[in-house]
Amino acid sequence: MREGTRKTLFIFTLLVFAFFYIPILVLMVFSFNDSKIGTVWTGFTFDWYIRLFSNSQIIDAAFNSLFIAVVTTIISTVLGTLAALTLHRYGFPGKRTVGFVFYIPVVIPDIVLAVALLVLYSFLNVKLGLATVIPGHVVFATSFVILVLLARLAGLDRALEEAAKDLGANEWHTFWKVTLPLIYPGILAGALLAFTISLDEFVVAFFTTGPGSNTLPVLVYSMVRRGVSPEINALSTILILAVVFVIAIVGWRMNKMNKQEGEV
Amino acid sequence: MAKDMVRLENVSKKFGNTYAVEQLNLDIKTGEFLTLLGPSGCGKTTTLRMIAGFEKPNEGNIWINGEKVDKVEPYNREVNTVFQSYSLFPHMTVAENVAFGLKMKKVSKQEIAKRVKEALELVQLANFADRKPKKLSGGQQQRIAIARAIVNNPQVLLLDEPLGALDLKLRKQMQLELKQLQEELGMTFIYVTHDQEEALTMSDRIVIMNQGKIEQMGLPDEIYEKPATKFVADFIGETNLFEGTVMDANPSFATMKCGGRHISIPNTGNFSKNERVYMSIRPEKIHVSAQAGEEDNLLSATLKDEIYIGSVTKIIGEFPDGQKVIAHGSRDILKSCTRGDQLYLHWEPADSVVFEMKEKMEV
Ligand SMILES: Nc1ncnc2c1ncn2[C@@H]1O[C@H](COP(=O)(O)OP(=O)(O)OP(=O)(O)O)[C@@H](O)[C@H]1O
Ligand SMILES: [Mg+2]
Repeated sequence: MREGTRKTLFIFTLLVFAFFYIPILVLMVFSFNDSKIGTVWTGFTFDWYIRLFSNSQIIDAAFNSLFIAVVTTIISTVLGTLAALTLHRYGFPGKRTVGFVFYIPVVIPDIVLAVALLVLYSFLNVKLGLATVIPGHVVFATSFVILVLLARLAGLDRALEEAAKDLGANEWHTFWKVTLPLIYPGILAGALLAFTISLDEFVVAFFTTGPGSNTLPVLVYSMVRRGVSPEINALSTILILAVVFVIAIVGWRMNKMNKQEGEV
Repeated sequence: MAKDMVRLENVSKKFGNTYAVEQLNLDIKTGEFLTLLGPSGCGKTTTLRMIAGFEKPNEGNIWINGEKVDKVEPYNREVNTVFQSYSLFPHMTVAENVAFGLKMKKVSKQEIAKRVKEALELVQLANFADRKPKKLSGGQQQRIAIARAIVNNPQVLLLDEPLGALDLKLRKQMQLELKQLQEELGMTFIYVTHDQEEALTMSDRIVIMNQGKIEQMGLPDEIYEKPATKFVADFIGETNLFEGTVMDANPSFATMKCGGRHISIPNTGNFSKNERVYMSIRPEKIHVSAQAGEEDNLLSATLKDEIYIGSVTKIIGEFPDGQKVIAHGSRDILKSCTRGDQLYLHWEPADSVVFEMKEKMEV
């Protein structure tokens, strides 16, 4: 019976994996398919990739997305780190409320924030463009950075900061030599999360971007409406590989760091 | 005369509504080795933390080297701490940990290297300089914590159970080294330990704390021989505590009655007839014999048990009323005795200490 349970569990796990990854795998395979209609395999080709890189619309959108993601990551990592440190360290009246407010963007529907921003922009008479996407993304990303960092800070031993001060380090040195190195993996994880959140965010970008300045998800959406082209398969494949690559590198680095510390 | 290095005046610290430290008055002289001793939770760590600057007293003042330190940040105090939980920096190597304080003081590179090496040699861990702390055993980490504090040559060193994780042999060795270093450099040590023998052998002065207050303060032999309260007598070493009533309070002849027995007590003149008191007598002060002798103050008890504890044998006797008594004796005395036999106990009244029963009334 125990053996049976194990087998069932194993098969179940396989099914879940298949459910997760088969669509992605199919997409990747068909990005090399030598046919305009994406459902039958007719032969191998790199055509779609070549077309992709000669499509200036897509390249522009990719750069727009990268630009927004980088700016969002920088702003939200700095803001999130400061906010998390403040929340962790200082007791002040209303601290719980403030902490809760930071969680809200994580749980409210994207559409609500998108519409809210749109209303705000029109109220302030702000002309929509590429930059108007950034505030929305910063709101989301900062919340996630705070979440990740608070978890890391909860595991940080306050006594270590006291030990630093005991040895003559002022607030500044304590932060740079002890606090920051210890929460650095958390900051990195938060930044990575911020980057990916911004890169594939659709709803806010769709509502708050100006005419002619598409982000990648917005462009893909408009392309797909005219039918799924294998170009999009190619684009998706590149995105997936890029993200997996970045996560693998960061994961490997963090793993190495944790090993060096001997698990903090 | 040595002046005060650390001075606590009416210092109190509350957590919530309870006092962790209450109305503490303490003067610690330059170059003194002072030990705080007391049961778990009595406020030892809290006292050290207030001196180091990590807790602000709710009341009272602290002076370090003549300077009132209520507005001095921890990093500006000439004090270093060996933390109870070590608190080594996990992202730095052992050598970097030890060098941290000197780096903050902007000591030159060569000087740092030299002093770190010396400190690590002192704690016998020179070979571990490039390891990360988490890769060391508990006792090794503890010694790194000592090295990290001591390398700075502070005027005052606070040590919170610095040898608790070491085996007996290494602990004895480190005790000697610490004491030597303290005397050579004239450092002031404020030392916390649960090891009474350590406290009695190393300290110039011992402070016994209980529930945030000082119970007694004095030289090691004073604390042991002349405990001021029942708590101290009970807490330090092993003792027999008898509860009884004073029968005679004459200047030359004082006795108390305890479970039907009359016991001579030292007359300090502080007791009156019929007063309820406690009496404490150390096991090693009780003479045991199998035959009744000629002495006054002779009591009889039955042998209940004997426990071999190394140099002496612990004899557990029972008085007719069921009260247990512990004495130390040699094996020879017991050769002819078996359990249930009659024993004769005797001690010099001057070796016992009598306390008034104020503790009972407070409850
Ligand atoms: N940060 C804190 N918040 C609330 N209560 C505290 C805090 N620190 C200490 N206490 C309380 O204050 C009292 C004294 O604690 P302290 O750590 O000074 O004891 P200790 O004598 O060092 O004990 P031990 O021998 O177990 O280390 C304890 O009752 C403890 O629970
Ligand atoms: Mg303690």
